Amino acid sequence: MIEVTKVWKRFAAPVLCDVTLTVPTGCLYGLIGPGAAGKSVLLKCLAGLLRPERGSVRLFGQAIEALDEVSLQAVRNRVGMLFQNNALFDHLTVAENIAFPMRRRGITDESVIAARVADRLRAVSLAGFEQRLPGGLSGGQKKRVGVARATVTRAEVVLYDEPAAGLDPVTSQKIFDLLRREQQEAGATVVMVSSDIDRLLTVTDRVGMMLDGALIFDGTTAEAKGSLHPVVKQFVHGEVDGPL
Amino acid sequence: MATEEEGLSAQTGRAVLSLATDVGGAAVLAGRLLRRMAPPRLDGPELWRNLHRMGVRSLPIVGVTALFTGGIMVIQAGVLIRRFGAEGLLGWGAGFATLREVGPILIALMFSGRVGANNTAELATMTVTEQIDALETLAIDPLSYLILPRVIAMVVMLFVLTIYGDVLALTGAAFMGDALLGVSTATFWNGFLETIRVWDMATGLIKSALFGGVIALSSSHFGLAVTGGAPGVGRAVNASVVASATGIFVCDYLATYVLQ
Repeated sequence: MIEVTKVWKRFAAPVLCDVTLTVPTGCLYGLIGPGAAGKSVLLKCLAGLLRPERGSVRLFGQAIEALDEVSLQAVRNRVGMLFQNNALFDHLTVAENIAFPMRRRGITDESVIAARVADRLRAVSLAGFEQRLPGGLSGGQKKRVGVARATVTRAEVVLYDEPAAGLDPVTSQKIFDLLRREQQEAGATVVMVSSDIDRLLTVTDRVGMMLDGALIFDGTTAEAKGSLHPVVKQFVHGEVDGPL
Repeated sequence: MATEEEGLSAQTGRAVLSLATDVGGAAVLAGRLLRRMAPPRLDGPELWRNLHRMGVRSLPIVGVTALFTGGIMVIQAGVLIRRFGAEGLLGWGAGFATLREVGPILIALMFSGRVGANNTAELATMTVTEQIDALETLAIDPLSYLILPRVIAMVVMLFVLTIYGDVLALTGAAFMGDALLGVSTATFWNGFLETIRVWDMATGLIKSALFGGVIALSSSHFGLAVTGGAPGVGRAVNASVVASATGIFVCDYLATYVLQ
């Protein structure tokens, strides 16, 4: 379970304002909202990359903002994350990038690593790309390698920041379906930020909407689709006229 | 007028604040790295990779720079050497200047341009593309895995390259002394060995280690502190090169004063 309680975070201006959110274990939670609403910052707080000025973020029952470096690393070993910019390591091949989290978690059997890497690459339709470097891939291919790396360890908590950005509609739907399948097989708790609302809502259990650093809606996917909140309604249905 | 004065004071304040932020940031980075050295927590393969690419690949450029520097010193000193018939002092003059000052400074500036700038660009790119964040989410400490091997490699390799550059600069000076002034290489090396003390060489090498630290901390700090996406990477590289060069000269002044 992920528990976010009254979290505040500011840079030049406040980016998270009193955010309280609970993601039950095994839930695929979609986080939506317009640009600069604080979604990516909230994900980074969940991963322990940013510490909130106030409030608490609890993962696996531990308040991660209070953990020391060693304890935080132990928590991170149970978390997977896909970044908005993919964050592939430029000096490593595609196969090495995907295998990286496995090696860092102590898996040394090369046959196991190779089989898992091949499986992940097949899942994202990039079989045969093992020896390519990230610099030689298109934006969509990089995104798919990022997805393969984020899912390779079957982490208990996985955070996805725009997993389908830059992908064509068919590949995008395939990626959402793949992530849903992975989440169900692993029983993982997933928080997924995406601007592709239509496809995102085909896989989520619950949805939260952020606006100007605040969580203005938290409910099931069906509730989000049927919400009468003017901002949520306009955003979910992509209406031009409205408060946004 | 009042507005202009206010603008000037505001600009001065911003500049001082920015300087304090960067010097403080580099100092904090140094402290965090020192904590990781006792006991040593660094990635061995990454250290070897950096020793190779920062040191071995710098050999050609440092070699060419050093050879020409030695030659240029003799050309500049040639007029005076001839006028005063002081050929016997050529080895002392070239050795003293090269080992204590010119060698460490020029090689450090070359190293800063080639290795320091590259280090900042790499780290800044990794920062803006969230690769540093990715390392953290994979439970990898970026300072131990990425930064400490680079800092150690830069300090060690600048030290080694300074020895290598000193030898080549003196060889260049001896060759030019023979070709231009007719001072035999035996006379050159005799003059050098009779007058140059081990401390002269040690002074230059201590300086080179300090310069290596300055370049490493400056280039790593600006790489990690980058903001503003791709344009920010360019600004970080520029700031790193300027800060390294300034730091080298400030450090040189202080070290020369202390190590006389």
